Amino acid sequence: MALPNARPTGTARIAADVGGTFTDIAIFDERTGSIRLGKALTTPDHLVDGINDGVAKSLATFAEANLFLHGTTVAINTLLERTGARTALVTTKGFRDIYEIGRVNRPEAYNLYFKKHKPLVERALRFEVNERMMSSGEVRFALHEEELERVAKLLDEERIEALAILFLHSYRNPSHEIAAKQFFEKRLPGVYITASHELSQEYREFERTSTVAANAYIGPRVRTYLGEIVTHLKTQQFGGSFLIVQSTGGLYDADRAQAECIRMLESGPAAGVIATQSLCREVGWPKAIAFDMGGTTAKSGVILEGEVLMTSSSMIGGYAEGLPVQIPMIDIQEVGTGGGSIARLGPARSLRVGPQSAGASPGPVCYTLGGTEPTVTDANLVLGRLNANRFLGGDMKLDLEAAREALRTKIAEPLGLSIERAADGIIRIAAASMSNVVKRVTTERGLDARDFPMVAFGGAGPLHAVLVARDLQIGKVIIPNAPGHFSAYGMLVADLRRDYVKTLFTPLANLDFDKLETQFVAMETEGERDVLAASNSIGAVVVSRGLDMRYVGQEHAVTVDIPVAAFKAKDMAEVKRRFDAVHTVRYGYCSEKELAEIVSIRTSVAGAMPKPALSKIATGSAAPPAEASNGIRKVYFSAAGGWVDTHTFQREHLRAGNVIIGPALIEEYASTTVMLPGDKLSVDALGNLSIEVANG
Amino acid sequence: MANTKMDPVLTEIVRNGLVAASEEMKSNLMRTAYNMIIYEALDFTVGLFDKEGNTVSIGIGLPTFIRGMSNTVKRMIAHYGLDAMDDGDVLLTNDAYITGSHLNHMTFCVPVFWQGEIVAFAACMAHWIDIGGTLDGMTLDIYSEGLQMPIVKAWAKGVQNDDVFRIIEMNVRIPERAMGDLRAQIAAVKTGERRMLEMLTKYGRDGVLGAIEAIYDQSEAIVREQIRAIPDGVYEAESFMDDDGVDHGKRITIGVKVTVKGDTMEVDLTNVSDQVKGFFNSGRAAGISAAQVALKCLTAALDMPINDGCFRPLTVILPEGKVVNATRPAPMRMWMTFPMTVIDTIFKSLAPAIPGKVIAGHHADLVVANIHGRSPQTKKLFLYLGGLIGGGWGAKQTEDGMCATIAINDGDTHNGPSEQVEAKYPLIVEKYGLRENSGGAGKQRGGLGTEQIVHLQTDMMFNTQIERVESRPWGLFGGLSAYGNQVAIHRQGKDETVFTTGKVFSQLLKSGDRYTLRSGGGGGFGSPLDRKRSDVEDDVRQGYVSIPMAKEHYGVVIDRATMKADVAATEALRAEMRALGLPKDIPLTSMAISQTAPRFKLVQGGVMSRHARAWHDEAQADGLIWMRCCS
Repeated sequence: MALPNARPTGTARIAADVGGTFTDIAIFDERTGSIRLGKALTTPDHLVDGINDGVAKSLATFAEANLFLHGTTVAINTLLERTGARTALVTTKGFRDIYEIGRVNRPEAYNLYFKKHKPLVERALRFEVNERMMSSGEVRFALHEEELERVAKLLDEERIEALAILFLHSYRNPSHEIAAKQFFEKRLPGVYITASHELSQEYREFERTSTVAANAYIGPRVRTYLGEIVTHLKTQQFGGSFLIVQSTGGLYDADRAQAECIRMLESGPAAGVIATQSLCREVGWPKAIAFDMGGTTAKSGVILEGEVLMTSSSMIGGYAEGLPVQIPMIDIQEVGTGGGSIARLGPARSLRVGPQSAGASPGPVCYTLGGTEPTVTDANLVLGRLNANRFLGGDMKLDLEAAREALRTKIAEPLGLSIERAADGIIRIAAASMSNVVKRVTTERGLDARDFPMVAFGGAGPLHAVLVARDLQIGKVIIPNAPGHFSAYGMLVADLRRDYVKTLFTPLANLDFDKLETQFVAMETEGERDVLAASNSIGAVVVSRGLDMRYVGQEHAVTVDIPVAAFKAKDMAEVKRRFDAVHTVRYGYCSEKELAEIVSIRTSVAGAMPKPALSKIATGSAAPPAEASNGIRKVYFSAAGGWVDTHTFQREHLRAGNVIIGPALIEEYASTTVMLPGDKLSVDALGNLSIEVANG
Repeated sequence: MANTKMDPVLTEIVRNGLVAASEEMKSNLMRTAYNMIIYEALDFTVGLFDKEGNTVSIGIGLPTFIRGMSNTVKRMIAHYGLDAMDDGDVLLTNDAYITGSHLNHMTFCVPVFWQGEIVAFAACMAHWIDIGGTLDGMTLDIYSEGLQMPIVKAWAKGVQNDDVFRIIEMNVRIPERAMGDLRAQIAAVKTGERRMLEMLTKYGRDGVLGAIEAIYDQSEAIVREQIRAIPDGVYEAESFMDDDGVDHGKRITIGVKVTVKGDTMEVDLTNVSDQVKGFFNSGRAAGISAAQVALKCLTAALDMPINDGCFRPLTVILPEGKVVNATRPAPMRMWMTFPMTVIDTIFKSLAPAIPGKVIAGHHADLVVANIHGRSPQTKKLFLYLGGLIGGGWGAKQTEDGMCATIAINDGDTHNGPSEQVEAKYPLIVEKYGLRENSGGAGKQRGGLGTEQIVHLQTDMMFNTQIERVESRPWGLFGGLSAYGNQVAIHRQGKDETVFTTGKVFSQLLKSGDRYTLRSGGGGGFGSPLDRKRSDVEDDVRQGYVSIPMAKEHYGVVIDRATMKADVAATEALRAEMRALGLPKDIPLTSMAISQTAPRFKLVQGGVMSRHARAWHDEAQADGLIWMRCCS
């Protein structure tokens, strides 16, 4: 939103990615074309302070900025830590328990102590009203104000802070939800109120209930947080637009974000995938795997034909016990393996790595902050892959002996291994589990990981990338500039975006293209108005349409991207052909003769933001310049049979055209790139490290 | 016993690789299957086996099929011998007495050759939507249940055996669907074979096979350690099924005897009923599965991959001719129902030994209705698999039972969204909610069952084969029994008919009528008089327990004005109830059925009303089936 009293705007765009440990800042100056980076410790009690520190470290001020882009974990943490508002649900008669019943599945089939998802709204605060919509959108039982008033009295007594409204079939006809919301807004001032159709117009009452309940639950806290930032920006004489990153990787303005906070759950990880997409455009790759490894998790997403692969819902808190959120978001798979993952002995001499994590506190043993369990980071230090004196540019000294000692007593001796073999084993196990997470976004989507280059980022991504790539037989790995700031950079290249999905069960054969066009245009007009209002820097507005389709009789639908032109041409055969093609990729077969049906229609409206143009780095010869050398040190590589003299380089001094043959280490402020024997690295014109992996 | 020679790092990498391989086989099958029983109800199992046929890693849809596939692979090995198998062979059978289940479970298997030697097998069982046989009512032998395919080679050295395919195509009602599922299964076993070969290439024969031995040893060690923690002794328990669907009301005994000695366990199923007339029999593999599922739940629930190392410390005594080791020609169509209660009964037997690990009885049925009718608009026949509504699970020593969760036979099975049901079928779901008071009272309360009320918008045929209506889920250590499962129909203008049986065949319902499925709760754990007052207050506040029930079962007197417990009145009442030995448990009659409720006259196949018979004939003539289940 444009803040009041806006001064003539500055020329800087500030992006802040607030993570659990660090707040990463990336600043793009439109005037000079330069990008500046900063890193500050996250300040959980008052997150704005960490942002401020980071901006100051980047030698910038909000006064000189015209845009503030923000990715935040405040929404997801409120949900996962269960620190949200006292929330009630108002729903259709007969369905107050849907939220608790869920889908009745028991993923941990043998676990008698399996716990189902725990609703954010207790049963006593779930109220039914007598109203009923049919699947056709016709009213079966009208909604009467007396019913709402009866419930309002109860809500008053319960002193609720937030209210979620879900009526059956509101995706088809939201009029009862709209009426109820208007009524309660008047009747319950100060209460955060949200209705399901505003977030999801797809069928599936449990998933929609869960989505709207989560939005209500986190709403008041997110509203307060964003309010604090706005206040702070005002005091800093910020005169530009304040935009938040959504889980789609698109931006939306702070007003919209307060009403639909559920859309910002995965804003940081999404920005990393958007950065990968942007990098793909620059280097001319149609597809890539984004691999992001930090302190506690590794995440992976996919770019295919230049587009980010999306999903229409996600389980927040894990598949087994999590809560579904049914909104479009980037398809990001995650595993609990990060630098802080703890290695420990399991039953019967087995060695396990993660998912327990030492996190930032107490952290790995080598941080000497009180950690006593050996972690992946300790293993990397013991093997010489991390430099004890150059971690975070030397800001943080690591204790090699403490790491060795922990590995020796906890892992190596009990297993009868040398310390090095134990450390190497831990890293190999971590890499194997991370390659399985990459398979989940590729193999399980019908894609062959071997056909993709991998872009590795996050503090720990470059340390393990070539190991993961080997496991998957991926031939090429790219380490972008400032891999530790890649998500913040992704915010600078993101566009404004609105997504709309609407369930519309229709056999393809009966499709009325004119009616469909009306539906699409209504959504797109709203979206265009929205993105244009959010910023005055919008270039082109681009609309992308899709249909969720399935064969008649199937349950699961697939999303099929369909060009706007095909709708205008009313080309039914083209729609079917595209559906068959997507089905073949995803499910391995298609049935050209079988009838298809449409489940939902979806459209996204993107308002293009001007992008930073990347500058080229100085060109050099094949041999890296002398000042790039950090010398030679012993590093342990099991593939090479043990300790090997290994060249180490300082990344800032590398030049375009430099070639390095592994084994080697490339060190930079917040990360280290490991190359195994035989890997070949070349520095491209923009400074990206492009590694050809020596696959067995 | 632990394999001390094997590299622990490689073992862990292979372990992760095996889990990922079976997961990938599973997702490949789900992605490519044609029928919803596979891709929604997850009625399948895939996996890798060693060259003796032992389970190395299985990906499950069906937890109780833990033994079925290994048993089938072993029988295939015994039938041909390793020497008579070739690279490119695909073996097939659906022999119900081998898989232990029903004929719908077609099982494919390929030998994995490495340098000319069989080192492993990849196999896949999936539930075909139709395998022939009669559509309707009760079956009384296996021959009326469809095509029986002995162990054959569907492919020999990579060449398809057309004779086998022609036999299948002639014997199933929807051959295109069947062939689609067949292709999906072949894709799944080929995926398993490919992943196994990749691991062999990466880590070598000795590395992979050595790691598998080490994984067996690890799982075995986990289980032995857990069994050692169980006091030695002989533990017995008995429970009952309602009936076999033929002799109405004649209880069927499930008696188990568990002997724990050191780090070994023996489960003796000699006192389980002999095989029965109706289609509730299952084969030896199902009986053994029941014992193995119980053991895994109690000792190594989250140990992955699911492998046979776990079961080395277990012996099962299971004489032939038992209802869970039935012999030809016993009918097997609803094979999955009784083993669920066998598993629960094993938990019950071990309760005195390990009260902190066991669980009280659960609703133990999938609670499914098979419905068909004609669309009012198109007049076309539709088939609807109603139910899968989830039910209550038993309480544990430290936790209340889970509400509304699928029975132990199924795992990651999902219910259907009501919004979807109403969009697809001429039905309106009027209620899908928790069943108040259905959880067995206890210090820890049993989970609640659910209730689904469906209002018909056109005429339909309605059938159920639900168990444990009168033999209700039991409590432990003074916890009370829960409500049992229940079926009711409510014809327009008449009172609701609540059936005293769950086997309701061929009821023709009219537009405007309603049917109700109610799943049972879970049994309670510990005396309800010991439940914390504040917990009972919360149960009442949440509506899990009514005010009268709080008083009658828990001895907690709730003041209606404050909704808080009246402390003095509660203490007095609880003391009085203790003195009188209250509350009394009633484990074997159905709850909430008045004495005057009509007792449903069983309609068996062939004894339908003329109108119902006409409907049935028409459905059969359309070549479509409605007799489906989810296991």
